[in-house]
Amino acid sequence: MNTFAGGGGAASKTVRTFCYNCVSGPDLMTVKVENGIAVNVAPDHSAATIHPGAGRPCVKAYGLLQKTYNPHRILQPMKRTNPKKGRDQDPGFVPISWDEALDIVAARLNDIRARGLQDEAGMPRVAATFGHGGTPASYMGTFPAFLAAWGAVDFSFGSGQGVKCVHSEHLYGELWHRAFTVCADTKLTRYVVSFGSNVEVSGGPSAVRRHADARLRGIKRVQIEPHLSPTGACSAEWVPIKPKTDAAFMLAMLHVLLHEVPRDRLDLPFLRNRTAAPYLVGPDGYYLRDPDGGKPLLWDEAAGRAVPFDTPGVFPALDGTFTVERAVTRGPDDETTPFAQVAARPAFAVLAAEMATCAPEWAAEICDVPAATIRRVAEEFVAHACVGETIEVDGRTLPFRPVAVTLGKTVNNGWGAYECVWARTVLATLVGALEVPGGTLGTTVRLNRPHDNRLLSVKPGEDGFMAANLNPTGRGRWAERPTGRNAHRSLVPIVGNSAWSQALGPTHLAWMFARQAPAEWPEPSLPELWFAFRTNPAISFWDTAQLADTMARLPFVVAFAYTPDETNHMADILLPEATDLESTQLIRVGGTKFVEQHWEHRGWALRQPVVKPAGDTRDFTWISGELARRTGLLEYYNQAINRGAAGTPPLRSDKWDYSLAPQAEHDVDTIWDSICRAATAELSDGTDVKDLAWFKEHGYCVVPFQRQDWYLYPTMVDQGLRFELPYQERLLRVGTELGRRLHEQGIHWWDSQLEEYQAIPAWHDVPGRWVRAVTAAGGDPDDYPFWAVTTKSMPYTTGNNAGIPLMNEAATNLRGHGRVVLNAAAGKRLGIRDGDWVEVSSPTGHTRGQAALVQGCRPDTVVIAGQFSHWATPFAKDLQFPTLNTMVPLSLELTDATGSGADLVRVAVRRVDGPEAQP
Amino acid sequence: MTRWVMIADLRRCVGCQTCTAACKEANGTPPGVQWRRVLDIEAGEYPEVSRVFLPTGCQHCDNPPCQEVCPSGATGKRADGLVTIDYDVCIGCAYCIMACPYEARYKVTEPDWAYGAPTALDQARYDPAMVGVATKCTFCIDRLDAGLKAGLQPGRDPEATPVCVQGCLSGALRFGDLDDPDSDVSRLLAENQWFRMHEQEGTGPGFYYLWDGKRGLI
Amino acid sequence: MKQMATARRQGYWDLRAAGNFIGGGTGTGLVLTAALAAAAGHPADLPLAAGLGCVMAGLSLVWLEIGKPWRAFNVFFHPQTSWMTREGILAGPLLAVGAGAFLFHRPELLAAAAVLAAGFLYCQARLLRASRAIPAWSTPMVVPLIVATALAEGSGAFLALTAPAPVMVGFALAAGLAREAFRHLYRRELVRAKAPDGTLAWFSRPEVHVLQAARLASLALLAAALAGQPTAMAGGILAMLAGWGLKAVMVTRAAYTRGARIPRTPVRGRGTSRIVAPS
Repeated sequence: MNTFAGGGGAASKTVRTFCYNCVSGPDLMTVKVENGIAVNVAPDHSAATIHPGAGRPCVKAYGLLQKTYNPHRILQPMKRTNPKKGRDQDPGFVPISWDEALDIVAARLNDIRARGLQDEAGMPRVAATFGHGGTPASYMGTFPAFLAAWGAVDFSFGSGQGVKCVHSEHLYGELWHRAFTVCADTKLTRYVVSFGSNVEVSGGPSAVRRHADARLRGIKRVQIEPHLSPTGACSAEWVPIKPKTDAAFMLAMLHVLLHEVPRDRLDLPFLRNRTAAPYLVGPDGYYLRDPDGGKPLLWDEAAGRAVPFDTPGVFPALDGTFTVERAVTRGPDDETTPFAQVAARPAFAVLAAEMATCAPEWAAEICDVPAATIRRVAEEFVAHACVGETIEVDGRTLPFRPVAVTLGKTVNNGWGAYECVWARTVLATLVGALEVPGGTLGTTVRLNRPHDNRLLSVKPGEDGFMAANLNPTGRGRWAERPTGRNAHRSLVPIVGNSAWSQALGPTHLAWMFARQAPAEWPEPSLPELWFAFRTNPAISFWDTAQLADTMARLPFVVAFAYTPDETNHMADILLPEATDLESTQLIRVGGTKFVEQHWEHRGWALRQPVVKPAGDTRDFTWISGELARRTGLLEYYNQAINRGAAGTPPLRSDKWDYSLAPQAEHDVDTIWDSICRAATAELSDGTDVKDLAWFKEHGYCVVPFQRQDWYLYPTMVDQGLRFELPYQERLLRVGTELGRRLHEQGIHWWDSQLEEYQAIPAWHDVPGRWVRAVTAAGGDPDDYPFWAVTTKSMPYTTGNNAGIPLMNEAATNLRGHGRVVLNAAAGKRLGIRDGDWVEVSSPTGHTRGQAALVQGCRPDTVVIAGQFSHWATPFAKDLQFPTLNTMVPLSLELTDATGSGADLVRVAVRRVDGPEAQP
Repeated sequence: MTRWVMIADLRRCVGCQTCTAACKEANGTPPGVQWRRVLDIEAGEYPEVSRVFLPTGCQHCDNPPCQEVCPSGATGKRADGLVTIDYDVCIGCAYCIMACPYEARYKVTEPDWAYGAPTALDQARYDPAMVGVATKCTFCIDRLDAGLKAGLQPGRDPEATPVCVQGCLSGALRFGDLDDPDSDVSRLLAENQWFRMHEQEGTGPGFYYLWDGKRGLI
Repeated sequence: MKQMATARRQGYWDLRAAGNFIGGGTGTGLVLTAALAAAAGHPADLPLAAGLGCVMAGLSLVWLEIGKPWRAFNVFFHPQTSWMTREGILAGPLLAVGAGAFLFHRPELLAAAAVLAAGFLYCQARLLRASRAIPAWSTPMVVPLIVATALAEGSGAFLALTAPAPVMVGFALAAGLAREAFRHLYRRELVRAKAPDGTLAWFSRPEVHVLQAARLASLALLAAALAGQPTAMAGGILAMLAGWGLKAVMVTRAAYTRGARIPRTPVRGRGTSRIVAPS
């Protein structure tokens, strides 16, 4: 078999497509094909003024050729012949036909369907895991429509979600400003305080270009992180901070703003009118409310009395203590407490009082950063905020506040992340720099809808805030029996219950509970069939040895497989899909998206077969249709596509109808042709409809997206809404309710997480949690004197291309690639020279790698980039690179209230003779 | 006259290696051979540290030391500044590699493949003429010449511009005619402060590194 | 602030290339010594033949190293500036004239061969000097060092091939002393020029200390021979072997590149630029 048959003909052609291998995309590109072989990836220069990265894809896109022609690819369906599973077992995969493979999978599915979609424990019998940040959805064709047709699916087995992402930002960001991800308004901002945010590496071409332009424009970015990342390198200043103490730094900044800077330097009108800062807080910590309408009260300085927050023409007080004649508070479970002649302070005053003790001198000791540096950064932040200035955007005058605080991954997940995300957002709030030009912006929503326009997700809710879709915690409404194996609805109110919520719950709990459920929790049941696509949790999660072992217990695993890897090593059936350059899919582009994709256009882009699929690999849409047909779900599947369930628009509206006949089988091109037509009809209101052939030639179709829609502020103003900041009354109430519900069930293992529900977060010994975890694991903290953290390099930001040699070669130019990065002086102290083999160990695991001695790293920190230590993935398994993932435990005690953990661990470092012998 | 030069704006470069990968792919260089490469350099001592990303490669010097030592005459220099290698003349002695202060030249003695054995992609791009001889960055001479022939302007029109430049994410890499006062490179050099590497060697590199705008030296 | 080192050891010229400098050095040294001996009335046929053989062996080794051996004749195409071309051009006449001198015992041919050998040796020294990627080679003192080492090797080898006349022992000792003097100056020059750490580190490596001891021992043995002890042959062989070691180290081990160097760090946004000193 000619496994990589060319398209025939000697003609050279250039094909337009896109790369969406990481959340920082999609990026448009072209591929040159000669004699049927894809030989070159290049930017799509026609999009230079459309795409914020000037039409240029990042280094990963250039790896797609080696990805396509990887000789280790699985090119036909495979069946496992060894019933035993485990790392030490040879799966004994043997090739089978597509018919046989799909029949085996369909038979399993039909059997499940006959017995019910949920098992006796109420858990979906089918589970699915997709990798990095939702990007697999751009490569799985109409599979989402198949899953929608199927019904209940458990998405709670994560591959790193919650612990490898900016998890707290996702959850709190959406609550506060519809910001699943947060960035600076890089085009306009002048001062950025970046706590470990590594946009130069993980922000994709858009971020790289925007920040490079900003540097030349004269931005000042202060990078605060333990290790000098490329983003730190490209910043005006590097402040090496002790890991996990960022919250203390930010609280100290708040202190400076609230206690050292003159009040009028803050954006008082913004605080009064656009936030909850003037809401009066009662003695029990809840807002004082109008006894009649239940609306929160504020103190009108003009009238000298408390009035409902939405009373027109008032001048709300921010500072001071006031006596309110009559009010009520609404506590947990709708408990109303009446108050009379009660002393109350505005939330702003409460905030100021809480920050009184957080002076830079206090934080200096915690952060190991001089107080003068913290104070200077805070003062510079205020100085650059341009409070009072305005700018015109698309004909509308908006506040101009060119300052922002951005947060990196390990700052932004696990314990301490709530404090950081809150402090970051409050810093922006104090100077009115939230969701305005130059300030701190959200880019997209995932827990709210619609995904493609976060502004439309803004709806008026309670108390003058945006509506929030929290999981209910009230008595009788709380989900006392988990509906997924990570119990996101039961444990994490703030994650909500949208399509993405489950995968953003505590996804490690699904793996942990599959081995042993905690007290008073339903016995674990394993999914009977698990789909895995573009995901490798056996490498990318934590405590990978245990996790792989758990995976081996799953009774039936269907892996859409590219090459052998550590996860599909446990599979029963391998289905090789046509990959990036071999299959068809239309996706949305533009508007505002993850990380820094701020476009001035929006529309659709096509991924198309640049070359013929290798071997007997098949388009994912074909696979989805076949599964639908063989499970008797064809009609529901077609209807799901017609509804827009494949990440596409509805195919029918009152003005056009490109819907698919529900009962018929449709080939791949017919389906995508209909979608292309509907998508462009939606773009043009039916006036300019393009078909698949048009997209194949032109690649993308966009219309203008107004710059004003980068900002949420105008929508808030138009709807008369306030940002739910700085005081977190709702979270206080929800946390108390959740605690009651859990305690009613006799559950106490989530108690420390409940402590995170504070209206104004107070500092606690965040790094100490990791030190105590050493003791809990039976170790002596003195034996583990280093922090091990992780970082990324652009060739590996998705982690799923470790089998591509070009990525390794390119990354080798970067210091620390595939090595254990160590401060040079610390290494010398330990007798370690550059290039020496070292073993890094935590109480629960270890890894080995060659040392890279650098200056740009704190002496108490070691850094291990990326996610390696493969043992099945061809090429990658021979690299002998270290990984953090074998050393970080899956741990309830290190899980925060949002269900996330942080990518760090206390470790020991010692010199060894060489790599570990492979088992 | 024309003098093609490249600029790397070190203020922009983030070390992403996109240029490295784009070059490798476009030129089909074997594993380990990087005509365009971005070094990751630290200066200073903790905690006063700078990390600098430095794109390197053939500097297409005015006085190329590689050409001086080349015993076969395979290394040449065109009137437009490009330093060339005639693969049909080069004897692969590697003397030029020892002469280039920029470590820009490579030699492989046998075909080498990313996955060990050649793939269809490798076969499509394999050029046996490049085995056993010295190779280096050509400033994408074929693109340049074809572009000029088609009336395009290198540095402005992507099709006529070196692949590293047209793929560069941050806009750090620029290309153009130094002798054209209106070219982007001339303008950038006039408006910014720059250095050339190993200037004291007198090689006259055609590769300029911008490090600041025109303001007082710090 | 100081920049981290980026110098790397060159990996393109291995022992085969070093063999050319070894064979060429010992060979030309032998030819020159033979001419000197003949002028002084000593028999020199065997050393002459051995010298030519060494040169040929060296060239053969380098021929094995080049990527396109069947195009080796292209080496002659660039005499204008290339010391490798010049070396190549001299090689043929050297071997031919040397062979003529050996066969016909014509002193003028031997003298001509000596001149060609000196030229060949000088070309080799300049060949290294023109290698501007490698500070250990491109430093000026490399030329007298290579020449002196070749003379020490050749004169040493001469003592192993013939009955040692005092004048020839004296010549070998003088060449050895010159080699030591130039090596000292060479090292000082590299230190002053801030040669790469990797290069400088080789001066204190144990292998190099052994070589150094061998060279000093050869001088002692030669001095003893001058004083009438039967140590000339041993001293000569030691001088030759120590020279080979010196060049093997110089070409394959201590040959670090200059490395990339930035005189300033770039300004990032409103940061500052710092002046960077070499590591």
